[in-house]
Amino acid sequence: MTLRPAAQADLRPPADPAEHRGLPAADGTRARPARRPRRRRRGADRRPRFAIAVTAAFFALLYLPVVVVVLFSFNSQKSLTVFEDVSLRWYSAFLRDDVLIDSLGMSLRVSLVAMAGSLVLGVALALGLVRNRSRLGSFAGLVMLVPLITPEIVTGVAAMMLFKGLGITLSTTTVMLAEITFSISYVTVILRSRIAALNPEVEEAAMDLGATRRQALFLVTLPALLPSILASGVLIFALVFDDFVLAYFTTGVDPQPLSVRIYSAIRFGVQPTINAVGTLMLVGSIGLIVLALAIPRLFGRRGGLDLLSGK
Amino acid sequence: MARRNRSGTARPPGAGPAVSGARLWTWLMLPGTLWMTGFLLASLLLVATLAFGTTDPLGNPRFGLNTDNFAALADPAYRTVLLRSLGYALITCLICLAVAYPVAYAIALHGGRFKNLLIAAIVVPFFANYLVRMYGWSVVLSDDGPLLKALRAIGIADDGTKILQTGPGVIAGLVYGFVVFMIIPLYAAMERMDTSLIEAGRDLYGGPLRTFLFVTVPATRQGAAAGCVLVFLPAMGDFVSAQLMGGPDQIMIGNLIQDKFFQGQNWPLGSALTMLLMAVLLFGMLGYLRRTRKDEAEAVR
Repeated sequence: MTLRPAAQADLRPPADPAEHRGLPAADGTRARPARRPRRRRRGADRRPRFAIAVTAAFFALLYLPVVVVVLFSFNSQKSLTVFEDVSLRWYSAFLRDDVLIDSLGMSLRVSLVAMAGSLVLGVALALGLVRNRSRLGSFAGLVMLVPLITPEIVTGVAAMMLFKGLGITLSTTTVMLAEITFSISYVTVILRSRIAALNPEVEEAAMDLGATRRQALFLVTLPALLPSILASGVLIFALVFDDFVLAYFTTGVDPQPLSVRIYSAIRFGVQPTINAVGTLMLVGSIGLIVLALAIPRLFGRRGGLDLLSGK
Repeated sequence: MARRNRSGTARPPGAGPAVSGARLWTWLMLPGTLWMTGFLLASLLLVATLAFGTTDPLGNPRFGLNTDNFAALADPAYRTVLLRSLGYALITCLICLAVAYPVAYAIALHGGRFKNLLIAAIVVPFFANYLVRMYGWSVVLSDDGPLLKALRAIGIADDGTKILQTGPGVIAGLVYGFVVFMIIPLYAAMERMDTSLIEAGRDLYGGPLRTFLFVTVPATRQGAAAGCVLVFLPAMGDFVSAQLMGGPDQIMIGNLIQDKFFQGQNWPLGSALTMLLMAVLLFGMLGYLRRTRKDEAEAVR
């Protein structure tokens, strides 16, 4: 296929089924006379009404729960079905809830540390993996994929058993360690493709101009990767902040990550404060994700990535 | 575009000064690899080993070499839960396929300039907290929630109809949680698909349904297979959906594992259940790999 599908469709003469009855598909498609009146609309611009209806219903159901949580976070009553009046009652209830505020603080600390730790380890690992094709490299490449194909409950159980087996009391630190382990994979997967897309000639040029390999790495390669590194950092922050399963298995008694608190709150009945916390978390995560998506583009316009992308 | 080595001092990989470089790359790779090996592989190995262990009278886990825990898994109660988990995960895959095909089709082939925006609109809420989304979903599906109210108004449901606390409720939760994993690979496959095939199908008098079944589905089956793996994997291990949507008689294998580690305090049995879960999933993964290899071999031919 040489043309973009849409363009191909537009160049095609209108279909005239009657003339091609019995002809093999490969023939006729292009040799068809073009001036015949169209009896049926062409394939590509015929709207699949069924698929579009399903898509509309899908979007409605996808956002309905989010809308419900946000809407009822502003309800003046406890009910989740009847909206009474607009009020910030549940937001102020959240701000006065020391347990939840402590959890929020802990989640923020864990996310920051996990972001920093997994970026340092993950970026280095990704650089090594792309540039070094040794046996150690293929081993590291495999290990890195393990968390991505293991259900989180298994990694969670395993991390908890490791800590307990080593006699380490579960605490904020254990959550941080587990989250770093998990996040390294994400950082490495995201950055591997970016590093592979870099133009090695620029690094070589720097070395021809007298830079050592290490200087070339820090002065040329890493700055070129900066947008991707920042974007994956923001992404990791959001993922770790929202993570539940791993945090649930590796957290100690006090304080607990926000998502673990939410879990126990939902299990013991309806608590409208959760709507307020949930809304804040939704806004925060969605903001971060949009930021992560936007960062490469912001840099791209200034040429930060394209300079070295090998195009 | 092909990357050209500079002519003058061309540096073939692994020659000359690159040797010192190779050492640098190894040093860079080492901390992450050691970290992952120490935390991840060691911990997984621990689970595998403890599955052969026992608990002493005080309830502390002891390592050992017996297969009692695996024998205990033969208990019909566990078998029921395992089969239920498998069933729920499979039905979840099928429903996700049924939803994702039309959605991916509509966006990839008819999304026009809104394509990326629509895909972002699907992906972004997926990154928001899983528990908050599940909680919102359980409110939507609750007995006097908006969905059942609407269904009652148009006469599909009556007053006694429930979604929460039933098996379909659990499946609804799983579908809501993981349907994105099906849409993305299917969307990617449809983007790559040669749309002239669809037109060829229509030129040959295939109705929309026949064209879809005999042209679109075969052309995107790799995306569908990848999606099935991505949905099946977390759906099998999930314990939140069964807890929030199902209640006590809808538990899945994830809830059993959680229970053995937190309430039951029987870690060896919990480890054995974890290994069972892993075994089921590995079996599925191998099937998927064999399938894709075969597809690739056919594509090469």
